[in-house]
Amino acid sequence: MQQKRFGGVVAALALCAGAILLAPTGAQAVPSFARQTGMACEACHTVFPELTPFGRRFKLNAYTIDNLPQVSGITPSKDQTLLLNQLPPLSFMFQMSYTSTKSAVPDTQAGTGTIPPDALAKNGQVLFPQQASLFYAGRIAPNLGGFVQMTFDGTSGSFGWDNTDIRYARLASDKFLWGVSFNNNPTVQDVWNSTPAWQSPFDQRSATAPTPGAATALDGRMVDAGVAGVSVYGWWNDSIYAEVGGYHSAPAASQLDSSIPNPVLDGIAPYWRVAFEHQWDRNSWQVGAYGTTAKFFPANGAPLSGPTDKFDDWALDSQYQYIGDQHLFSVTATYINEKQTYNATATENPSDTLKTFRIGGQYYYQRRYGAALGYFSTTGSEDAVLYASGTPLNGFGNNKPDSNGWVGELDWVPYQNTKIALQYIVYSKYNGASSNYDGLGRNASDNNTLYLLGWLNF
Amino acid sequence: MKKILSLAAAVLLAGSAGAVLAQSDAKSLATGVCAACHGPEGHSISPVFPRLAGQQSAYIVLQLDAFRGHLRADPNAQAYMWGMASQLSDATVQGLADYYAAQKPSAGTAGAPALMAEGRKIYEQGIPSKKVQACAACHGANAEGAQVFPRLAGQHVEYLIGQLEGFKTGTRSNAPIMINEVREMTAEQLRAVATYAASK
Repeated sequence: MQQKRFGGVVAALALCAGAILLAPTGAQAVPSFARQTGMACEACHTVFPELTPFGRRFKLNAYTIDNLPQVSGITPSKDQTLLLNQLPPLSFMFQMSYTSTKSAVPDTQAGTGTIPPDALAKNGQVLFPQQASLFYAGRIAPNLGGFVQMTFDGTSGSFGWDNTDIRYARLASDKFLWGVSFNNNPTVQDVWNSTPAWQSPFDQRSATAPTPGAATALDGRMVDAGVAGVSVYGWWNDSIYAEVGGYHSAPAASQLDSSIPNPVLDGIAPYWRVAFEHQWDRNSWQVGAYGTTAKFFPANGAPLSGPTDKFDDWALDSQYQYIGDQHLFSVTATYINEKQTYNATATENPSDTLKTFRIGGQYYYQRRYGAALGYFSTTGSEDAVLYASGTPLNGFGNNKPDSNGWVGELDWVPYQNTKIALQYIVYSKYNGASSNYDGLGRNASDNNTLYLLGWLNF
Repeated sequence: MKKILSLAAAVLLAGSAGAVLAQSDAKSLATGVCAACHGPEGHSISPVFPRLAGQQSAYIVLQLDAFRGHLRADPNAQAYMWGMASQLSDATVQGLADYYAAQKPSAGTAGAPALMAEGRKIYEQGIPSKKVQACAACHGANAEGAQVFPRLAGQHVEYLIGQLEGFKTGTRSNAPIMINEVREMTAEQLRAVATYAASK
């Protein structure tokens, strides 16, 4: 039992490390789309990264709407063989941040060498940059476009691959558009801001603050594992959306074998998505569902054969938007229900559940001054092996994955491509409990986080 | 996975090879690009974007030209249309204008009776004390427009009010006649006349 628990902790630490190194981070908006279309950011975004109805249409159209002088080529039968912007649609993003938790987090080396067991990290961390990204975002060829992000991560000090969505789209008729998306993060291809990859105000987080330990496959486990996927979608009459596809493990520059520190998908994990949107006057309202079934080999020293751990996720989401000249308002919500069946990993229970709910509201005045408030909650089965106690900061003292709390944010957008955000996260419950959650005396509220973000896109 | 990828690649290649030069085809441009904001056949949903169905062809040409030349500079014109219109050829501008002029206009809906009555009075008789001409003189008895004078019937009321306010504050300065007309009008009068004109 002790050994299993140790294994669980190592796996958890490896997952966290992998998440920091490999995971697509945060949500972006890119000026190269503005350069390509000649349209201001506000055409596609209420305030970045939230999309307007036109922004959704632009993305569904494979980022191809273009108003730049072109390098073009055609065949004698007038088939277009090249249509390339004369200037490449490149952008740069720079984020700097200050993070402070209510109580300093434990020193990662506490108890080793000369570092005392109760040593604490220095609180109040400045990251410059927190993140710096280079984008190619725009049309690649007729009907083909991409949003490709390469990111320097200030925490790990490495340059890595980030959110990528390359897509092809065509109008089949006046009312029906279809397309194919190649991407590396389930829901990064989604056009509503109610799904995990782009849900404001939850998509912007400090890179150094503590994050609750339990997340569903759709909410992080698949991205953390490093996946690549392809999906086919259709959009009918500006109202009905359907998408089906699949994801496969694709860890960066690694051979797929037992040495991979993160779980590896067994074959293809199907992904599905349906949504309905209604627009009236300056309003739009969307309701939808999405899901996946992911079977993972634990890897991390175990061979990629035999039994797997299965994660069945289904989720509901909804988004309401009002876009006025002066006042802009939106609400996004999602509920993710996951059934976990452990055939490969030793756990206390053969199957567990994990449920996540998030709802957030945002208001902007003249797209310049904003405020956001969000509530998040994760609950699940008690499992002494999956959610082990005994680790400072990251442990689960009562073996429950439950976390919940509020996030509040104030935003100032002096220019359409510049955002200053001041965010505060309050945890009512963290890794299972409100007080002494890790079994070593730390309270949920000790992780309350003040986060100041400066965000430039150019 | 490999099968899916190769299938997807095949679909991609087949599609690209068949692509035609959309820029020269006004109807494809209207349905593929303009419709994203202006709606199918020019029936937009949000009042940020004007309804173009049945709009006067000459007026659309004039506006697209003004966007290309940056002569029309209200906030939404700059944000959306300066870019959108920048690469259009004269022939495509004419093609788009003709396409939208040929679509069936949206039906107007009546506003509150008192507002409609006040609006009708201004629309048909003007406001002599403020030297405001009757709108009907240029825009037609049924607000159907004529040549460079736009159709107002069936338009979003909020869009029309936004334009009138733009003439008044100077953000939309590409219509000298209108700037003179609205100078002395109150916000209430602008709303009344916009409501009446849109209802036709």
